[in-house]
Amino acid sequence: MSRPQPTTRRSVKTEYIETDTGNKISRRAFIEGKQNIMLGGKTVLMAGVHLRGDLCRKPEPAAAGEKEKPNTTAVSIGRATVVSTNAVIRPPMRVHKGQMTFIPMRIGDNVFIGPNAHISSASISSHVYIGENAVLSPLCIVKEGSKILPNTVVPPGMTVPAGTVVGGKPAKILGEVGDGWGQGGGVEGEEWVEGGDLRPLVRSIK
Amino acid sequence: MTTAFPSSLYACPCSDLSSAPTPSSKRASIQPNTLELSGDQAFNPHSPRANYALYPLSDLLYCEECDEIRCPRCWTEEILYWYCPNCLFDVPSSTVKGDGNRCSRSCYNCPSCTTPLQITQVSHRDEGLLKPTDAAGGDETYVLQCQYCDWSSLEIDVRFSKPTKITEQLAKQRKARVSGKEDTAPSDKKVTAPDDVFASLVSFYKDQLDESGDSRNPYSNSPYNSPANLARIMSLYGGLSYNALKKTREKPQPMREALGAPEGLFSFGTDRSDTEIISRMQTSGWDATPTAEQQLSAPVNHDIRFADELWPSATQLRTRRAKRCKNCRHIIARQEPKVGNMRYKIRLLAMNYIPRLSIRPLHPTMPLTNPAFNLKPEMPQHELLQPHKAQQYVLTIRNALFETVKISLATPATTPGKVASRVTILCPSFTVGPAGDVWDEALSASAEPNSDGGRKAAMASLTGSSESSDRQPEAGKIWERTRNSTSVIVEVVPGALQQPPSIVRKTDKELADEELEEDDDVLEVPVYVRTEWEMEVKPGESVQAKKDANAMPGEKVGKELGYWVVLAVGRIAG
Ligand SMILES: [Zn+2]
Ligand SMILES: [Zn+2]
Ligand SMILES: [Zn+2]
Ligand SMILES: [Zn+2]
Repeated sequence: MSRPQPTTRRSVKTEYIETDTGNKISRRAFIEGKQNIMLGGKTVLMAGVHLRGDLCRKPEPAAAGEKEKPNTTAVSIGRATVVSTNAVIRPPMRVHKGQMTFIPMRIGDNVFIGPNAHISSASISSHVYIGENAVLSPLCIVKEGSKILPNTVVPPGMTVPAGTVVGGKPAKILGEVGDGWGQGGGVEGEEWVEGGDLRPLVRSIK
Repeated sequence: MTTAFPSSLYACPCSDLSSAPTPSSKRASIQPNTLELSGDQAFNPHSPRANYALYPLSDLLYCEECDEIRCPRCWTEEILYWYCPNCLFDVPSSTVKGDGNRCSRSCYNCPSCTTPLQITQVSHRDEGLLKPTDAAGGDETYVLQCQYCDWSSLEIDVRFSKPTKITEQLAKQRKARVSGKEDTAPSDKKVTAPDDVFASLVSFYKDQLDESGDSRNPYSNSPYNSPANLARIMSLYGGLSYNALKKTREKPQPMREALGAPEGLFSFGTDRSDTEIISRMQTSGWDATPTAEQQLSAPVNHDIRFADELWPSATQLRTRRAKRCKNCRHIIARQEPKVGNMRYKIRLLAMNYIPRLSIRPLHPTMPLTNPAFNLKPEMPQHELLQPHKAQQYVLTIRNALFETVKISLATPATTPGKVASRVTILCPSFTVGPAGDVWDEALSASAEPNSDGGRKAAMASLTGSSESSDRQPEAGKIWERTRNSTSVIVEVVPGALQQPPSIVRKTDKELADEELEEDDDVLEVPVYVRTEWEMEVKPGESVQAKKDANAMPGEKVGKELGYWVVLAVGRIAG
């Protein structure tokens, strides 16, 4: 818990800003369009993370007399999800009838996104583990409790079914996660397991 | 085998690689809880077959009836449901039997790279750019397109008039193409679709069984050549009655095999001439030929010779399976029978029954991290182990049961494999307290301020240094104990990768044996764990397993379990 932090230039300030709901956002994360981003609480955005909340559907101009419409959500991330160093989260774009629109992205609870991952999925369900350097191409759908191996390229529009392991370029379904996926966490020394409750991991990030 | 250190993998006792050490029960009165390892008994993690016997604890199940660990080798699977991994609809098993294991809901995979294909609309202007000659058809046309490698059904000249019912449209176009070829082919009519070939083969064998009167049999050596044989084989699978069998046995009559294409004989060869194919290969080169994976993607692609003939392959269905104990047939893992529902109705995980082992250095040189959760791109570099330099590790055994367990550990004095490292467990037998829920843990910690942990913390705060830093490991002593875990010290002296030079000239075989292969430098310690515990028989439970059959409710029954664990410690420096 109290392991020494890598030396940062801002030694006075802490690395993370903690919100009221316990989200931890690195001061070195790059966040655009904050008003279009929803974080569920106890979620971590690490240093170098690029989060593009500015890429959202433009709200229709308010008709005369009506009041301005509230902001649309571009990215919503659930609880206890960890976005590791240098990961990029960019809502997908679709051309429909010649019009370019951004599709809002949803990420569930207890999702681990490895370092350098590039995410443009339509949705990622809860308890998903995404390895480092993985590329989740636009509009792919990642279902609950699945595992994406490091360096995988999930092709555009692919569905990763619940409880499967995918890998390769382009990704193929290689197998299934074990029956004990996400179980057995909370033990000292093995506080967090893939696909499990990530709250202890979130707590350890300081 | 492993890249992350330290780690532990478990061997299911069903593996013939893992034999149990001589049980000491015969001499239990003299020396309780000692295990003896002799010669080759130790599990060898460097054996080529070890990869197939070792599992992470989370992948293993447990049968409560048999009181044994269960792994994919010793459980059976049964299909809960079939589903399409692309559209996530489930497919009834009757449909699978009738129509095969592919999705019929317009789900297709790219024949070139396996990515799911998407139906995209092409306007005539776009199409004109691609194929300037033919732009016939309705107002809108659709194609199947791969968004990964840019393959599209235009490459095989397939277009759709509407974005729905792709399967029907595609089948129609395929049929038109195949029959068109047949008309022009000079050879006699040939059936090429694998499904048709199979259907005619099935009807041929059915006819043969019905007639069973053909005596002109050129294949008398085939085991399936007579109806009697075929009937006997079928009866093995519950087909025919004993009388029917007897009747056929009385007059054994030979049967012939399929002879021609109408009967289902399929011989390799295409309607194109070899010279034509070869000359095309010469001009277009290796890249124009399909890979083996592409050919195997679907039966329609089995016999193609060029990549531009690849036909989209309908998405293959997947299954979700329940697991049964092979021995007693009880279900040990079963999910809700609904696509995408990951909840379990029954799940007997080994981690909830057997003690868990974890190892860490006594004096870590770098902060311990969980290798699965690498938060930064730079990989932590594992320090290499120095040969002949003794290292001490803390081996923690954690109990998952609500009963106190007695643990006996055994490890070979030197690790198996080409690099022999010396291993000593300072305290090989001890007890581990019962597991409880988190509240029990918290209560017991607060109720006993004088417990070991509290005292240690107090000492640490007083002296300003942690107690463990000046404590010395002692043989026969437990290192640390919490409510449901016990830690002992393991001493490891890594062996040298290079064999010492010998005065006697070594034979070629000896030299070859010394040659190190991949991962031979990984120091893995096999540890045999035997655990014994007593369990109270609950009312109504006494008949569950044979060995407990005589036990009365309320009585205590002794149980034991033994298994190998492989602890990967690190790599040895060369
Ligand atoms: Zn087994
Ligand atoms: Zn489908
Ligand atoms: Zn493709
Ligand atoms: Zn059983």
